[in-house]
Amino acid sequence: MPGPFALFIWMVGLFCETAVVVCALKKRAFRRYLLLNLYMASAVLSELGRYKILTEYGFASKQYQYFYFYSDAILTIFLYFALCTLYVHVFSEMKAERYVKMGTLLLLAGTALFTYAVVEQSSAKLVTHFVVDLSQNLYFVGLVLTYVLWAAILKLRETRTRLIQLVLSLGVYFSLFAANYAIRNLYPSLSSVFVPLVQVFGLFLPLAWAYAFWRLPEEARLVPARLAVIPR
Amino acid sequence: MSRKLAVVSLAMLILAGAMGLKTIVTAHGDGSVIMANGAAPAPPTPYRNGAAPAPPTPYRNGAAPAPPTPY
Repeated sequence: MPGPFALFIWMVGLFCETAVVVCALKKRAFRRYLLLNLYMASAVLSELGRYKILTEYGFASKQYQYFYFYSDAILTIFLYFALCTLYVHVFSEMKAERYVKMGTLLLLAGTALFTYAVVEQSSAKLVTHFVVDLSQNLYFVGLVLTYVLWAAILKLRETRTRLIQLVLSLGVYFSLFAANYAIRNLYPSLSSVFVPLVQVFGLFLPLAWAYAFWRLPEEARLVPARLAVIPR
Repeated sequence: MSRKLAVVSLAMLILAGAMGLKTIVTAHGDGSVIMANGAAPAPPTPYRNGAAPAPPTPYRNGAAPAPPTPY
């Protein structure tokens, strides 16, 4: 069983994820950001399932391991599609929805093919290896996509505050994990500090999104000059 | 047609960039998961448990460096 700190962070995370869905419903933003909210709702369900399995079978059990990684892969795919709907929002005026959808499916298929090509070298537990690696590869694709979207937001002088907050928090969220992983592998002696931080970083996205839905109205606009000055 | 080609090439470029970034970040990695959805404590990956004894969970690691993945 994980320690009290890990359990506390887990419960706070569950609360924050529920708060995102509740805030979106309360502020009538659920349908507008449907996939983002579906991702959070499925994260809540997955956390509940993980908790049930952990209390029933234990932390080191195969059941918890498999449930954790398979549910994580599903959640990552949900997050990937949620990120692509943010592209649709940003490029809505350019009527590029068709191309965004095409690119989304193409990139997902490409990532799956690449993952399969890598894991087929491994003879044991091919499906599980594929599921875990697909999840991790999609995470990196999401990281790059978020920065590309952020560049597009700057270039197009996007002013919708809530949309900017959603994209920016996603970029920070992805970057925190990558930086943490890189640092703890460069300095293994600090892993006792950086490994528990992974769990704390999991709180960032639901907190930022709950704030975006609760405090930032859909009509709120940022002055473009406050984002960056890009000569045209 | 050119728009479709642009989408295809952009998708391939993003995939190549993402996998390149993954290679850089995980170059010295111990095979543990980089990112996980939610705040639940992450168990060790299932496919690491073969005949070899499973390494300790990430939350019980001491200061010792984690062993390399068997695959």
